[in-house]
Amino acid sequence: MMSGSPIQNIPVSSRDAPASIYVAPSLAAARDALSEYGPVGAPLAGGTWIMRSPIRHEPLRTHYVAIGRIAELTAVQIESDAIEIGAAVTHAALAAALDDLPEFAGLAAAAGGSANPAIRAMATIGGNLATSEFFAADCVPALLCLDAAVEISGRNDHERIGLADFLAVRSTLAPGRLVTRIILPRARRKTAHVRLPLRRAGDYPVAIVSLSVSVDAANRVQAARIAVGSVEPSARRWPRLEAALIGHPLDAAAAARRAAELADEFVGRDSVDAPAWYRVSVLPGLVRRAVIAALGS
Amino acid sequence: MGFNLTVNGDRLTSAADPATPLVDILREEMHLTGAKPVCREGFCGACLVLLDGEPTPSCLLPAALADGREIRTVEGLAPQGTLNCIQAALEDSDAVQCGMCFPGMVVSLTHLLTTRPDATRDDILMALTGNICRCTGYERIVEATLLALATA
Repeated sequence: MMSGSPIQNIPVSSRDAPASIYVAPSLAAARDALSEYGPVGAPLAGGTWIMRSPIRHEPLRTHYVAIGRIAELTAVQIESDAIEIGAAVTHAALAAALDDLPEFAGLAAAAGGSANPAIRAMATIGGNLATSEFFAADCVPALLCLDAAVEISGRNDHERIGLADFLAVRSTLAPGRLVTRIILPRARRKTAHVRLPLRRAGDYPVAIVSLSVSVDAANRVQAARIAVGSVEPSARRWPRLEAALIGHPLDAAAAARRAAELADEFVGRDSVDAPAWYRVSVLPGLVRRAVIAALGS
Repeated sequence: MGFNLTVNGDRLTSAADPATPLVDILREEMHLTGAKPVCREGFCGACLVLLDGEPTPSCLLPAALADGREIRTVEGLAPQGTLNCIQAALEDSDAVQCGMCFPGMVVSLTHLLTTRPDATRDDILMALTGNICRCTGYERIVEATLLALATA
């Protein structure tokens, strides 16, 4: 006996087509359009989430403002003290831009290893952060480890908030506001990003561990940021594990043991591809792999 | 409002709604049925086309963002009916199975051969992470690609 519903290849005629997609030529034009559309409008960057709305049985908005061709949103600015990433930078472009920056190896791995090549060339970093319903976003935990700030713009103002704060409010952003930049301070550190997809590549990861550590000359951990993605509905840091590593030599087996002791603080999410308990149970192994990767970076 | 598309060198117009996926315009309006709308989620790769030369899932590209772009479907990869290098290698290697995934495979591999003539087996596998073959015939496809690279 079959259970569940068959996947429907939805014909064009049954879609809730929006009234418009406005291809904004500039950020100012995009902000104006979003402000005028208000709650019936939304930004559209790569489209890899929005275009799947019919599959999720979600209606499209009435108006979209396409932001993928706005020059100031598609640039990565690399300065001596920080890098700034436009919200419409694709995963592929971000991975390429970070290729020669070892301190961002974790983020480069996140951007360059997510989904598949064609999706990486479409999906944007801003979309990855702003889509609260996408639980398996790779770049979110990677950015949490890098002390990222998010710039949000409206028609006449902009504000900058920490990424963790942004994640808490992203589903309730006021109409007309959009993510415009991600700002990352530069620092000497080792970073890594490891994920467990069900196949070697191409799938959503069951769980993600991102890591950023600074060590002293004796390889003792001075500072650590560890974030977990895809296990719960939103990625978050793992402060108890971070604290457990401070002052100790950076060691993969020891970090995995501490992770096993502390993993019960996560409440995994059940889904068709993996049960909740499994997502949590793989965390120590991913922590071990992340430390090995960081030591090699 | 209409959209102007250049498909396989032909300049065409569409009056589709702006969020209509390109794959539906190609198939329903232009009767180019090589691209297959299989998963409609960007996982399977059966709907890949070259958009300004880059492999792109046409199920996720709204008409409004295809406007003015250069689109090449699998039907446009064999000019004058002559198979391109990867198409010929796939045929010679007897790598073609049910045909559902193959238009996307050909698009991905045409791009790989064009941009990475030095590609290794691992490069081929990475290039195909977004192309799912439910006949699981990957090995012959990879061997055919290596053959095409060696003889190109």
